[in-house]
Amino acid sequence: MSHRDILVPDCNNCLKLTLHTHVGGKRKNRIHLQDRKITTVRKIIAVRIIWCQLIPSMIPSPILNTLKRDVVIIGGGPAGLLLLAALKTSPYLRHLLCTLIEGGSLALAKQFGVDPPKEYTNRIISLTPATASYMDLGMGCWNHLHHDRLKRYNHIIAYDDDGKIGFDMDAYMVEVINVQLALLKRLAELENGFENVWDQCKVTEIEKNGGSGSDWPIVKLSNGKSVEARLLVGCDGFNSPVRHFARIQSRGWPYDRFGVVATIKVSKPTQVAYQKFLPTGPLAILPLEGDDATIVWSLTPELSETLCAAPSEVFPHLVNAAMKLDSHELPYIYEMVKNNDNVDNVIDEIQWRLNKASVFDKYYDNTVTKVFDKSRARFPLKMSHADTYVAPRIALVGDAAHTIHPLAGQGLNLGQADVQLLVGALEKASTRGLDIGSTLALEPYVSERWPANHVMLGVCDKFHKVFGVNWGPFNAMRGFGMNTLDSLGLAKNLIVNQV
Amino acid sequence: MKSITTFLKRCISTGFRRWHSTGKLTSTSPEELAHFNALASSWWDVNGPQRILHKMNLLRMDFIYSTIREHLKLNPPDCPEEDKVYIPPYSVDLLPEPIKRQIVWEQDMRRDEILSQKKLKVLDVGCGGGILSESMARSSFVDDVMGIDLSSEVLQAAKIHQQKDPMLSENNGKLDYQLTAIEDLPKSETYDIITMFEMLEHVDYPSKVLTEGLQRLNVGGWLFLSTINRDFVSWFTTIFMGEHVLRIVPVGTHTLEKYINQQEIRDWISEDPQRLRSYEVVDTKGTVYLPAYGWKFTSNPNVGNYFMALRRVK
Ligand SMILES: Cc1cc2nc3c(=O)[nH]c(=O)nc-3n(C[C@H](O)[C@H](O)[C@H](O)COP(=O)(O)OP(=O)(O)OC[C@H]3O[C@@H](n4cnc5c(N)ncnc54)[C@H](O)[C@@H]3O)c2cc1C
Ligand SMILES: C[S@@+](CC[C@H](N)C(=O)[O-])C[C@H]1O[C@@H](n2cnc3c(N)ncnc32)[C@H](O)[C@@H]1O
Repeated sequence: MSHRDILVPDCNNCLKLTLHTHVGGKRKNRIHLQDRKITTVRKIIAVRIIWCQLIPSMIPSPILNTLKRDVVIIGGGPAGLLLLAALKTSPYLRHLLCTLIEGGSLALAKQFGVDPPKEYTNRIISLTPATASYMDLGMGCWNHLHHDRLKRYNHIIAYDDDGKIGFDMDAYMVEVINVQLALLKRLAELENGFENVWDQCKVTEIEKNGGSGSDWPIVKLSNGKSVEARLLVGCDGFNSPVRHFARIQSRGWPYDRFGVVATIKVSKPTQVAYQKFLPTGPLAILPLEGDDATIVWSLTPELSETLCAAPSEVFPHLVNAAMKLDSHELPYIYEMVKNNDNVDNVIDEIQWRLNKASVFDKYYDNTVTKVFDKSRARFPLKMSHADTYVAPRIALVGDAAHTIHPLAGQGLNLGQADVQLLVGALEKASTRGLDIGSTLALEPYVSERWPANHVMLGVCDKFHKVFGVNWGPFNAMRGFGMNTLDSLGLAKNLIVNQV
Repeated sequence: MKSITTFLKRCISTGFRRWHSTGKLTSTSPEELAHFNALASSWWDVNGPQRILHKMNLLRMDFIYSTIREHLKLNPPDCPEEDKVYIPPYSVDLLPEPIKRQIVWEQDMRRDEILSQKKLKVLDVGCGGGILSESMARSSFVDDVMGIDLSSEVLQAAKIHQQKDPMLSENNGKLDYQLTAIEDLPKSETYDIITMFEMLEHVDYPSKVLTEGLQRLNVGGWLFLSTINRDFVSWFTTIFMGEHVLRIVPVGTHTLEKYINQQEIRDWISEDPQRLRSYEVVDTKGTVYLPAYGWKFTSNPNVGNYFMALRRVK
């Protein structure tokens, strides 16, 4: 029997070969591969079977369902897909066997390219020019975005009751699903890019490898399969199962605040983003294509519930009130909403107050006219940072490593920078012939990325504390007007210039 | 202080004598071997006693990779005219930035392409637990690696570790280890790359080991080595600080009298007309270990640790 017979995939033949080589007294089972692409999996299965025959006590349970992969990415959010596309684009890494596992369905993202829903989906994020350029020149996926649903803005006006500053800041607003679409399309162009994206497949458990040989973690999936990973990358969001498995602590600052997001219409199209600092935190209106816009509003848990539940005729007026009235006028209005006051009464009250107050019109000179009702959602705000991003055979990327206050619109941009540096570290490791799952390969990623992220998280945290917390000294500082914001020039520059 | 100076003098004189003496071939003293045997079990703990070797491996792989890459023939003789990449007859730095970038980019692409087609054969002499052997075996331009050592324990550690990575254990036997002295390998077996990292300072007759290595190089093949200059800085950093004060390397790892100055290797090549015709010292780089950083290159190859690249030109 020749070595080639091992390529026959079914179990019986492999067993025959095992017996044969055993009887033949050969100590080494060398397997010659004719076609790498299609046979690696079988080869691994075959090797496992041989091995199990020789050492029966070590049989892992679902033998035929365990695969080995160089990189297993958990999470098909923007960070995970970006990482897979970057790996498959890199001339030094594209040969790696990679699999991406996503619990949800990516069908909607694919559908988005053909026939996007008329209304915006409610996860809309901002991309900095650095992220855009990476997606364009670095990854070649920028053209795959649905460009009708991509909005560029170039200026931000930030203000509070006492003053305002404006600065130029180039950025794009885009739906997360649009980014996913572009990356999926790019993956479809790359060799072995797309086949290895498994969606609707949840990680149920991650186990340490029990065998004495390998130390690769084993990922168990809801479809019954298991995958062993040379390198397991958690792009699995803020509640990262990979981070929990690696026992990496994530330290957080919960803010006792909720973010409310919604898609709205405004009376005139604009290229400017507005952010008003209110006692509960910032309220931002970010432009989308035409007269569409999206808001992110930081509120106390109770208020967020009230405003999310407010009638949809009232909600646009509430946003206008918050943008244009002095903040001490707002509690009275919220009280009316909470008490389910008559819709017309609330609107009249707001209108009356807006008519007599004109001062803020020069800061926010637009008017919210409508909210897309299904788009309203609330989520708890928190800032958190993992103690490290790497452990033997583990790396964390994106929200799995850090979550940031949405105030700065940096969530995904930090994730993009993570991907870029992780891929850089892996490229370097691969020209050095390192095992890409070893900490020697991964250390440069965390040592470069962690401090940069920590600065960014700290800056956004300070912003929140200065402008979002109703606490004496801060309020007094704010009493000096937006000078405080200007005096945080360093912070501003960091946010504007970083990434 | 006086005792240190006399100690140094003694070491230097005995070291020099040893370098030129002849006798038994590439032997290593039983004490040396016992020392490495004892280290076998922790060899692959990257935070253990061999951490400094693991860190050094990063820099030496960079050294090997960039040296080979820089010396590739970009336009082989049989290359058709239209496929040739442009190599300006003067330094590219004289050209305008965009043109320079384009030329460098094209050359880089060609280097990647040529390198990816190479199937080099490697011999790692004094491979220890296989830190470098594994790295070489994972490199795309390498087809076959043989690691040899005289300590059976460290070789056992190397083999056990190899089994942990399917890329090394299942890949058509790209990586093999053997308990043998270099002179016992058949002379007919020749290699494209021979490495002697951190081992010449442990052997009794380094010139013999070098000779055995150079004889087994293919024309155009490379011998890469690293060792330590026999000077006060070396004694101070490797033995006094490294072993006794910082304890970043196990006590007993180094013996100053066995250190070889890089110039001595250069002189030894020039000494013999036959050697001088066939081999060339292409590069020597000083290296230093900074505890919080790792290894980095220095500007002076005559002090402390150094890497050297020799090439068989004929
Ligand atoms: C309301 C809101 C507004 C935001 N605004 C901005 C903004 O303006 N600008 C900005 O840059 N960022 C913003 N962010 C942050 C941004 O959305 C995130 O930073 C970004 O989506 C993170 O991407 P990710 O891929 O790291 O994680 P996610 O997008 O969270 O993706 C994680 C993926 O992992 C999958 N997963 C998790 N567990 C498992 C499992 N067990 N098995 C299989 N799959 C699993 C999930 O299904 C999910 O698809 C905002 C976030 C929110 C919530
Ligand atoms: C400091 S270790 C270096 C190991 C490896 N080259 C590395 O750098 O990762 C030195 C090794 O050289 C081996 N050695 C010493 N003398 C030798 C000789 N004459 N022939 C082969 N190996 C030898 C020792 O057993 C030991 O494993």
